Amino acid sequence: MSLLVITVGLFSLGLYGVLTRRDLVAILASIEVMLGAATLLLVGLAAAGTPMGTHEGAVEATGVMVIVLAAAEAAIGLALVISVARRFKTTRVDELAEVKG
Amino acid sequence: MNLESVIFAILGIVAVSGGIVTVFARDVSRMAMGLGTFLVAVAGFFVYWGATFLGIVQLFVYIGGVLVLMIFAIMLVHRSPDGSPTIETRHDVAAIAVAGGLFFLVVTALRGAVPDSVDQGITSGPAELNEAFLGPMLTHFEMGGVLLLAVLVAVVVILGGDER
Amino acid sequence: MAAFLDLGWLVVLLPMLLAVVVALFGRVLGRFTPAVAILAPLWVLAYGVLSLVEGLHDAPRSGSVEWLTVGAADSLTVGWAVDGLTAVMLVVVGLVAALVVLFSVGYMHGENGLPRYFASLCLFTAAMSMLVVADGLVGLFIGWELVGACSYLLIGFWFTRPAAAKAAVKAFLTTRVGDVGLLLALALLWREVGDLSYAGLFAAAPSLAPATVTGASLLLLVGAIGKSAQFPLQIWLPDAMEGPTPVSALIHAATMVAAGVFLIARTWPLFSLSPDALAMTLAVGGLTAIGAAAAALVQTDIKKVLAYSTISQLGFMFAALGVGAWGAAVFHLVTHAAFKALLFLGSGSVIHGSGTQELEEMGGLFRKMPVTGVTWLIGAGALAGLPPLAGFFSKDEILHDVALAEPVWAILLFGASLMTAFYVARTTRLAFFDAYRGDGHPHEGGWSMRLPLIALATLAAAVGFAGAWLAETIGAHHGSLDLRVAAASTLLAVLGLLAGWKVAGAGHPGLKQPRLAALADLMRQGWGADRLVERVLLAPVASASQFLYRFVDRQAVDGIAEGTAPFARRVGRAFSSLQSGDAQWYATMLGAGAVALLAVVSYIGRGL
Repeated sequence: MSLLVITVGLFSLGLYGVLTRRDLVAILASIEVMLGAATLLLVGLAAAGTPMGTHEGAVEATGVMVIVLAAAEAAIGLALVISVARRFKTTRVDELAEVKG
Repeated sequence: MNLESVIFAILGIVAVSGGIVTVFARDVSRMAMGLGTFLVAVAGFFVYWGATFLGIVQLFVYIGGVLVLMIFAIMLVHRSPDGSPTIETRHDVAAIAVAGGLFFLVVTALRGAVPDSVDQGITSGPAELNEAFLGPMLTHFEMGGVLLLAVLVAVVVILGGDER
Repeated sequence: MAAFLDLGWLVVLLPMLLAVVVALFGRVLGRFTPAVAILAPLWVLAYGVLSLVEGLHDAPRSGSVEWLTVGAADSLTVGWAVDGLTAVMLVVVGLVAALVVLFSVGYMHGENGLPRYFASLCLFTAAMSMLVVADGLVGLFIGWELVGACSYLLIGFWFTRPAAAKAAVKAFLTTRVGDVGLLLALALLWREVGDLSYAGLFAAAPSLAPATVTGASLLLLVGAIGKSAQFPLQIWLPDAMEGPTPVSALIHAATMVAAGVFLIARTWPLFSLSPDALAMTLAVGGLTAIGAAAAALVQTDIKKVLAYSTISQLGFMFAALGVGAWGAAVFHLVTHAAFKALLFLGSGSVIHGSGTQELEEMGGLFRKMPVTGVTWLIGAGALAGLPPLAGFFSKDEILHDVALAEPVWAILLFGASLMTAFYVARTTRLAFFDAYRGDGHPHEGGWSMRLPLIALATLAAAVGFAGAWLAETIGAHHGSLDLRVAAASTLLAVLGLLAGWKVAGAGHPGLKQPRLAALADLMRQGWGADRLVERVLLAPVASASQFLYRFVDRQAVDGIAEGTAPFARRVGRAFSSLQSGDAQWYATMLGAGAVALLAVVSYIGRGL
């Protein structure tokens, strides 16, 4: 129960950050929190011996894959942030709003 | 209350407080420190559960890679003239509703599926991981490599294309 | 070789793949595009030839996969099967398509959008192969629709010309009327038999109710009429001449328009069970044969002559089907593919060399374009039915079979062959003999245009002798040459040729009379079929639309609609605050939606 509460809580926390932070870097950081929470739940389930834990090697490998994906996402995201900052002189999403209806 | 629960509780508290700092900190450097704390706590969980290798990867890639990258980006980007930049939040109410609703719903939905205690631990070591990567997950492994290469090229393109 | 032949599905897939390759990499391939594109028809040709060589006396080769399951018991399979008829059709398609691709190298030189052109040709080859090798009506229908789509693409190749774009749409829509018939036939047979493979259909056909057989056969006939431009759906083919001439040779003379004949020949064990459908086929074919031949008499555009001629010759094939001589129909299909493709490519060479399609601006081209001239003469002789060229044998077989079964209709067909000889001679003299009337410098095309002409001319001269072999291969009855019919038709051909020759030289003295001139005008416009369609079909639709517009639309719909606008504007303004341009707000809404969905699934869904 506590594993579930902690991981889902961290995930929701990260979601809240993504939805509210105005700075692109902060949004990226919040996304990292969400990713970390998801990986934590996956590995935790394997450690708890749930059916998916029968292939522990595969679970651990999936964890590594998530980390790799997160690293890739962070690299691309930060590159975009730097690119945006260069062009618009800001990283605040409210100042970048151009998708107006 | 045994030792395991104590360790679990401590790691949980550290992780959650790191997350909270990440999401709520107004100052960017404090935010980065919060994220670092959170990531170290997650690595701690991994090691505690027996997934030592995963924990090491977490430390290397996240703390050594992503976090450093993020701090670099912060230094590159946040050069506001009046000193420390602020990070504001907005439409909090709707976001709280969404995040809280998600939390409540997912926890109630998965309550039965997730066991209470994490006592078994992961017994597999790097050998099993190696086996998994060269066996059933070989495709994932290759795709990961291709993805990283694509990311490398993409970063160069994104940043290089901006110079003009 | 057997292993190669077991890969029947590749006959469809490889050309399709080549179409994709040509479409995607046409610019990279540059002038090698045709060299890649020609592999598709060559592959089909090789497969057809090897199938014939290997012999098809054993069980036909086939294979199939389950496509989708309908209900518990019935499942739809798509597969291929190669028997004699299929192999012959593959040879025809592959050969004509290969020669057309070769011819296009010269004819289309310097055009824009050549990758599109050659990719369409490859796709057409694939679609036609699919139509032919399908082991059931489902596969045939897919190919049937695809060739229609390719026809649309290729007629409208010069889509910036309004006439071409219009003609493409017209061809597509008119054949679509027929396609609906075919689709209904499929639906009917599916309901009654539950199996659309030929084997299953033919096994079940004898035990079906006569009304079902007749209904299905008539619906199949509607499909065939649309595709083969038979009366009353013939109006699209003359307009389709707006496409590039090699395309006309391939699609609108040799292969696609013959698909209707193929359809009936393929479904013969079913189709022949219905006397009513056969009688209908004979009537349609006979009327079309003579009507289109008459329309061809007075055309002034060389391609229009050939277009009406094609309709007329397809009418001959339908008439043969109508009296049960499906072997003769397929024989004529093959010879017609050879000599009509030859004539179309010849006209393409003429158009390419002289820069015009109008017969009035040609003349005397025989000396300036000797290769085109000689090959044209061979094709013209074959079309007119002069012995020993190809058209003579196949047309005589049709005339013979029809004369035995339905003497009255045979007289009509004899009249049509007389007219055929007449317009052939007229067109030939106007284009190739007497003095040159245009103001250009006609010249022969390059080797890529001459080679296909020579190859097709050889075939048009020789393929008539293959009648007995062909009949044996496809398993049909082959009638021996009847000397009386042969003599009569040859006499008629010579008479027609002489009359046509004379009229062409005299510059239509008879047409000075106003009544005759009016008749000629009517014939030139294809008996006014377009205007008829306009009156009978378009006018009622237009007035009904007017009524709907005036009363229903203006009064009722607009009343609501105009009230709706202010309402919508108010609602829109209320909602526009949601569209703040703030991506995070959108993400929040997205999250809210996901949470709501999750809640629905968790609480309401549990009860279900």
